[in-house]
Amino acid sequence: MNQWWIAIIAIIVAPIIGGFLAGIDRKITARLQGRYGPPIVQPFYDFFKLLGKSRIATSRMQFVWIYGYLVFMITCVVFLVLKLDLLLLIFLLGFAGISFVLGGFSSKSPYSHFGANRELMQILSYEPVLLLMALGVYAQNGSFMISEIMKPGAAPLLPSLWPIFIAVLLVLTIKLRKSPFDLSTSHHGHQELVKGIMTEFSGPYYALINLTEWYEIVLVLGIVALFWANPLWVGIIIALAAFVLELIIDNIAARMTVGWMVKFTWAVGLVLCVLNIAYLYLIKGGA
Amino acid sequence: MGIINTSRIKSPWIMHFDNSSCNGCDIEVLACLTPLYDVERFGIVNMGNPKHADVLVVTGPVNRRTARVLKNLYAQIPDPKMVIAVGTCACSGGVFHNCYNILGGVDKVIPVDVYVPGCAAKPEAIIDGVVLALQKLSKALGVAK
Amino acid sequence: MDLNWMMAVAILLPLIAGILVFIIRQYHIRGLIVILTAIALIINSIFLMLHGPDTYTPTSHYWGLAITILDYAMLLFYIYAGLSLKNWLVLIFALTQIIPLAYWEFGMGASKALEEIKPAFVFDHLSIVMVLVISIVGSLITIFALRYMYDHEHHKEIEKSRQSRFLFWLVMFLGAMNGLVMANNLLWLYFFWEVTTLCCFELIAHDLTKEAINNAARALWMNSIGGTAMILAMIYLFAKGGGTAELLTLESIIKAGGNQAMLLLPVALMCFTGFIKAAQFPFQTWLLGAMVAPTPVSALLHSSTMVKAGVYLVLRLAPAFAGSYLGIMVAICGAFTFFAASILAIAQTTGKRVLAYSTIANLGLIIACAGINSPLAIAAAILLIIFHAISKCLMFLCAGTIEHLVWSREIEDMEGLAEKFPVTTFITAIGILSMFLPPFGMLLGKWLALESVFAVPLAAILFVIASAATMVFWAKWLGRLLQVLPRLGRKFESLSLSYSVPLWLLVLGIFVVGIGVAPVYQRFVSFAVNNVVAATEAFAAGWNIVVPSASVAAGGTGALIGSFPVWPLYIVFGVAIVLPLIFVTIKPGELRPVYLCGEQVGGVDTDEWITTADQKAKLQLGGFYWQGATGEGAVNPWFYTVSIALLIILFAVVVGVSL
Ligand code: SF4
Repeated sequence: MNQWWIAIIAIIVAPIIGGFLAGIDRKITARLQGRYGPPIVQPFYDFFKLLGKSRIATSRMQFVWIYGYLVFMITCVVFLVLKLDLLLLIFLLGFAGISFVLGGFSSKSPYSHFGANRELMQILSYEPVLLLMALGVYAQNGSFMISEIMKPGAAPLLPSLWPIFIAVLLVLTIKLRKSPFDLSTSHHGHQELVKGIMTEFSGPYYALINLTEWYEIVLVLGIVALFWANPLWVGIIIALAAFVLELIIDNIAARMTVGWMVKFTWAVGLVLCVLNIAYLYLIKGGA
Repeated sequence: MGIINTSRIKSPWIMHFDNSSCNGCDIEVLACLTPLYDVERFGIVNMGNPKHADVLVVTGPVNRRTARVLKNLYAQIPDPKMVIAVGTCACSGGVFHNCYNILGGVDKVIPVDVYVPGCAAKPEAIIDGVVLALQKLSKALGVAK
Repeated sequence: MDLNWMMAVAILLPLIAGILVFIIRQYHIRGLIVILTAIALIINSIFLMLHGPDTYTPTSHYWGLAITILDYAMLLFYIYAGLSLKNWLVLIFALTQIIPLAYWEFGMGASKALEEIKPAFVFDHLSIVMVLVISIVGSLITIFALRYMYDHEHHKEIEKSRQSRFLFWLVMFLGAMNGLVMANNLLWLYFFWEVTTLCCFELIAHDLTKEAINNAARALWMNSIGGTAMILAMIYLFAKGGGTAELLTLESIIKAGGNQAMLLLPVALMCFTGFIKAAQFPFQTWLLGAMVAPTPVSALLHSSTMVKAGVYLVLRLAPAFAGSYLGIMVAICGAFTFFAASILAIAQTTGKRVLAYSTIANLGLIIACAGINSPLAIAAAILLIIFHAISKCLMFLCAGTIEHLVWSREIEDMEGLAEKFPVTTFITAIGILSMFLPPFGMLLGKWLALESVFAVPLAAILFVIASAATMVFWAKWLGRLLQVLPRLGRKFESLSLSYSVPLWLLVLGIFVVGIGVAPVYQRFVSFAVNNVVAATEAFAAGWNIVVPSASVAAGGTGALIGSFPVWPLYIVFGVAIVLPLIFVTIKPGELRPVYLCGEQVGGVDTDEWITTADQKAKLQLGGFYWQGATGEGAVNPWFYTVSIALLIILFAVVVGVSL
């Protein structure tokens, strides 16, 4: 029963935290650009306004996939708070991402089509890093369960997995849709492909995408926090520091090309992960 | 519905469409986004896409070719929506009013809620126009302001 | 039922039914025979399952004689085929089989010894799993083929029907496969192996176009290399066994293997045979070439027969290379194929070629699991065999159905299929999702594989990249199907029963086996795992799949390594996709044209726009294939180099250990 309550609380609280983080994001970004910026609660205004707009559609399936995106993202958050299998969580996150891509593909619109293809390339870039992160955790803990990472007395992961941590920061940039990797769509008003994959989503369904992104922020920062899960507040501080770092990178970096992103994340992210895992394998002498 | 109506006032996303202006008004619209005026303070974001917009900001007089595009874009904005005509040209055709290819002001094609005159309209006037539009909207929604 | 009868139905009934359909050229009667055979095979496989593991040796010696005669008949036919097609590779590799075989049987006097082998058939739980997969999935394909071949010939306006001949080989294939997975006597295994090669050759060549014949010949000579390797393995074993048949059974190899380094070489040779049949790099081209054949052939080759024989053999031999360097090399070879095929699949523009590369990739994954050889990995491998058979069969039948709806195999021609043929698209979407996403079985298998892969870190790295590439190529294919214009009022198409019954049964199978995977595992797959490697852990608890750590298995307490809550995830899937699919509706007034910078002309469902030259243009979208980066031309030289090098290292390691 306890588990149910934890899950329900997480489902309610996560988007609130995520929304505020999005608001802080906009505020800090504005300040970095010398502007005053919107109020912190602005994302909630946007969300409710979008909910109240009339629904317009270009196909039925695009709505269906958005529900898939949302529900699977919520499932990931629940997996995180219930401390279940990390590897499976990453696969579920994959379903969420693929749902979104399919939503983008579901209407014959050139902009959402381009955005969906770019989103796929983003998945291709970060998925191996996340999977290797799970393997790195296994190499360290002998288990894929998040409960093992958070077990009282368990050693923090960061000292032995710091190369993987750096790789995960790259994933964070992609997942938060920050420059230089805000390719499929971005949070800035204007961008090169209208609104990329989100072009054809409007009104309430755009609100659902926003909601999903709030869950996503909490999820990926939660994953970052796992690197120092004992005591957890250190991990949370690390995650928040990573978040601010992403904002700064976002404001000083230009958007790069898709090919560059894949090459860069593989060349840097994958190599870091591989070296890390190889080192752990050698010192631990196999499984 | 209270929270939704409040949010509507707090988060007007604009889309800017240029018919055939001299570009003077367009520069002023973009000036609103600069740190000096920073319209994001009011939750105003410049969107590139009618499907995400609440307020259509139109500059320049409508000509025979842009009339169709303007109508298309207007139809793609989900309700509730507002239209602001920025600059004398957009209001009435302005200096171009009797050109061979000009139909006149924006209201010849789509319903306009707020007229912001000026050649070019000042950023303060444009922001004022958006606020006026929001007041009109809140009155229509029954949220007193 | 009597064991005699069960064996007869499993192996001989398809042959007899094949001959009957070959003789009877009447569409309906022929169909009835095929359907009855399918039902008989399915029921029989269930009886076999209930019967449990057993051994069987036919009482009459004539069977052995018949097999020997047929062996030579087939090899002579290969020689004839090589000569008549002027394909020297076919000829050479037929000769490399027949000459050593004849020398061995008659020159070294093995034929006497071979007749003494008892038992000739051993079927344990692994065999039973295979028989079930072959009988159930394979039978559905034969039913699908009935109508498919009729339409196929209709469309091509072929004068003289060759459907009888096609169905003959198709149905017989099932019998050969059933024999193969139960054979214990190595010579009999070799015989069934060759029959599958022959069926494959005939089926690929069926359309008799130049391309079909060339590709069939390629399949023949490549698999003949495998046959040669198997003969060499048999001769080696015969010589090691001191001129007796002592080592010439799978049972004895498995029992003796692992402890005896000298057996590693024949085991490696037989694994190599399995690699070729499972189309591992660098031998993937025969399976790609097999795509020219009518789609039921591809479905059969890819899901339940032929390639599964390859992985079955490697899996069967897994105990013989447990803990050796050969095991690690097998894992790396398999993982490399998984990686290479997944990358190549991204660049494919033809639906069936994507499917082919995906099959090759998944076979690589299964073989890698066999190489890792821990209980967890073997469980993953067997579950993958089952789920891959169902999902891939469904995908091929979908590809066949689509081909007969749009008369094209190109993915680009399938754009907007969701609008024209919603039912087919729905089934295809289920098939595609079940290939790579949770909570479906294929992903469960991949998840298990990844949880076990840390034992071979190099394989782990290949796994993760491959698994990301998998997501890309499936998603973009499904994306093309879904791309529709804003329009309502689509009609559900009606499919011929021969198409729709197998399709819906397979969809049902995906969900039933998928949701019930934990009970299925406990009742059934766990025994098969124990046939390969002694597993003390139970990977299922109630309705969930769990991976306990070794200390728990040993009776101690400890945490889990991983857990996969099966039914909760299916509920999530239902809430996320199925419910919206049923309940989300849109009204005509809500439709808007797609955003084309306001330049579109026409109604809501328009895809026309006015260009700067004031002319109408039609919006055209195409898929991305990244052929410059992942195309065959760009990466194949590398993949060939690495895969050949891996095979050389594999044999070098084995020879090094054996000497
Ligand atoms: S109102 Fe004046 S500044 Fe604005 S577009 Fe017209 S001419 Fe240009």
